[in-house]
Amino acid sequence: MSEIVTTTAAERPRSLGADAWDVMRRRPLFWVAAVLVVLFVAMAIAPELFTTKDPRSCDLAFSRQLPSAGAIFGYDFQGCDIFARTVYGARASILVGIFTALAAALLGGLLGTLAGYLGGAVDAVLSRIADIFFSIPLLLGAIVVGSVVPLSPNSPLWRCVIQIVLVLVLFGWPNTFRLMRGSVMQVKPNEYVQAARALGANPFRVTTSHIVPNALTPLIVVSTIDLGSYIATEATLSFLGVGLPGTIVSWGRDISAASGIGYIRNAPHMLLFPAAALCLTVLAFIILGEVVRDALDPKLR
Amino acid sequence: MLTRPRALAAAAVSALLLMSVASCGSGDNTTTPTNSAASTGNSVTSGGEITVRGCTPQNSLLPPNTSEVCGGNVLDASEAKLVHYTPDDAAPELDVAASIDTTDSVHWTVKLNDGYMFQDGTQVKAKNFVDAWNWGAACSSAQLNSYFFAPIAGFTDPSGDGCNTADTMSGLAVVDDLTFTITTTSPTSNLVVRLGYTAFAPQPDAFFADTSEGKANFAKLPIAAGPYQIVKNDDTQMVLQKFAGYSGKFPGSVDKVTFKIYNDTSAAYNDVVANNLDLTDVIPSDQLVGDAWKTDLVNSDGTNRWGTKDTGVIQVLTYSAVDAQLKNTSLRQAISLGWDRAQVTKAVFNNARTPATGWVSPVADGYKADQCTNCVFDAAKAKQLYDAAGGYKGTFLIWVNGDGGHDAWAQAVCNQLKNNLGMECAVQTTPDFKTLRNKITKRDADLTGMYRGGWQMDYPSIENFLAPIYATGASSNDGDYSNPAFDQLLVDAAAATTNDAANKLYQQAEALLDKDMPSMPLWYQQSQFGFSSKIKSVKMTPFSTFDFGSVVMN
Repeated sequence: MSEIVTTTAAERPRSLGADAWDVMRRRPLFWVAAVLVVLFVAMAIAPELFTTKDPRSCDLAFSRQLPSAGAIFGYDFQGCDIFARTVYGARASILVGIFTALAAALLGGLLGTLAGYLGGAVDAVLSRIADIFFSIPLLLGAIVVGSVVPLSPNSPLWRCVIQIVLVLVLFGWPNTFRLMRGSVMQVKPNEYVQAARALGANPFRVTTSHIVPNALTPLIVVSTIDLGSYIATEATLSFLGVGLPGTIVSWGRDISAASGIGYIRNAPHMLLFPAAALCLTVLAFIILGEVVRDALDPKLR
Repeated sequence: MLTRPRALAAAAVSALLLMSVASCGSGDNTTTPTNSAASTGNSVTSGGEITVRGCTPQNSLLPPNTSEVCGGNVLDASEAKLVHYTPDDAAPELDVAASIDTTDSVHWTVKLNDGYMFQDGTQVKAKNFVDAWNWGAACSSAQLNSYFFAPIAGFTDPSGDGCNTADTMSGLAVVDDLTFTITTTSPTSNLVVRLGYTAFAPQPDAFFADTSEGKANFAKLPIAAGPYQIVKNDDTQMVLQKFAGYSGKFPGSVDKVTFKIYNDTSAAYNDVVANNLDLTDVIPSDQLVGDAWKTDLVNSDGTNRWGTKDTGVIQVLTYSAVDAQLKNTSLRQAISLGWDRAQVTKAVFNNARTPATGWVSPVADGYKADQCTNCVFDAAKAKQLYDAAGGYKGTFLIWVNGDGGHDAWAQAVCNQLKNNLGMECAVQTTPDFKTLRNKITKRDADLTGMYRGGWQMDYPSIENFLAPIYATGASSNDGDYSNPAFDQLLVDAAAATTNDAANKLYQQAEALLDKDMPSMPLWYQQSQFGFSSKIKSVKMTPFSTFDFGSVVMN
């Protein structure tokens, strides 16, 4: 957060970051969300810490068995341990969520800053391009790309994740672009920016030192909230069969395989656990995003 | 024809014909509604009206142009052919024909029953068959089923398009009004069994008088000689009225059958459960789990309103023709031996399919059990063969189409191969059936591993499960299988003078498949069906269509 620290004040008050941290740590919701996020990120990094079972070793003899001492979440249709699959499924989902949110924030932020600062023709062109992508629903675009360039089961995890991330960023960046553009336009007329200019700072320095730090808050907040929705979109794509291939354990795949009225009637646990993990992760990131927003935005205090 | 939509539409189930056989007999003291049928003197007079799940026919409603279940369901009830298949076991019995005789399996004489009537009041004569067949075979008519006429002498197809370049076939000749002769190009011992297929239906004079493109006007409400007449045909329903002047031995029972068009089989299923629809021929696969559908489809008095029927469909996985590693026969054997069909059918289909023991459906004439020795699960032998063959390098792919609900079983097979053989295995889905078929037809280079194939029989004969799929260069030989000994046995069998002798030779040919393993049999399909409380019993045929002559109303 240190880069958000504003350098205008002479009396060196507490930084915005420290201020926000003070607010956040007094809110129980922040701790709930943080613990969940840490838990799921830990699962994504080192799933073997949580379970000794292999999510890909399945025995049809256990098909659809209910939770028991040996398998606390029970077994799915193929006789795979649902707990192991839920733990291992975190990696693909969270990777997609984090990388998409990061890439969309970077791309949208960069272009938004350019459009907002330069204005004129650059703004017009970039905004129209963004409008074009904005007019294509993210899910529809992702389905089209997923059908045209289907992922093969032979593809390694990073290749699949990169493709999904690229697709989601391609149709998701106009959101962050618009946000950043508006935010930059709002900051640009401020006196401290004028002052920096008057003192002879070049445009690059004006932007990086004065405008961006002050315009960044909404982007951080929205990106955190979007992170959750990207995870949900990845699950939707996998559910529709155009996301991650079946060789990669992911929540979306497992939810898709367990759906169907007949399955839900007879073995609801197959759907319950991966769906609950997905919900909790998305919820955790969204709560975190809201808490960060509340903390960073003094108007909401 | 491999994996055509008819095969897809057929859902699956367990081995027993659970519908009570007794219920189809006469003497049912059923209450007959007031709009009871003008009985044609048959023993089952139930009357009433029923609604049936229908779907939009792919093509015009002409017998030579209908090869899928949506149009086939309707034409099955409206068309009469020379031969009729019994609803129980698809055994051929004479219908319009009084006799079909031959001494050499090449020259056939067909005599028709006198006084068999079309629904427009004209009589079914020899020329109605000969002209209809000539029209159906000709390339100029562009009919999908034209290849059915290929055995008839004079069928010339130099380009291999499956249709006759000439307008007529020299092998057909009218002798008199009730007699015609068929000459086949080569001996075709099972010709009689073939003649019951819809493509061989006769056409009335009104058909030939229709000058519209592709006989489109006639096809709206086709006139046939069967027990039901199509009286309405639009985008939402097809209505069949019992034909009062029906002259054959297989009359319908209910007065009126309405096929309501559904785009979603789940919706049709729910309507049957709620008694808003009387019959559905498809049960959604997720309802099979835990036998959910069997608990849904029970009357208030505890009697069941569901049934299952073995149908002439076999599912196989074909070893890819473009995968060099799979040229090794013992590797192919190991893969077939290395997973448990019984366990997969139980877990995935709730026993709604029967593990295959050969390449021919039990429904077909000439079926012999246990022809596939490599279909019996033996993990130890499989592992030994697999290791001796040097294993499979890379990820072994199982290709299925994503729109047919094949993911679950393919994944189960993969998991078992992983566990039992230690091979890397993954399921590869294509977005739809068409994409998979196109890839297979092109023998796409990335199509390694195995690909799914389903075969719905055209006619209930062992020959139909072998020749079109495994003969060298055959139209549906997806695995490019070629064995001269196999081809020779097919030729010999076709030339046999009796059906039994022919079947023995076909069975020897099937045994060769067990040695060479061009494909891996999975299971025989069964169809499940459900009906409303209005219906007491109904039979499904081995072709997954309903036999409306056996409907008994409550």
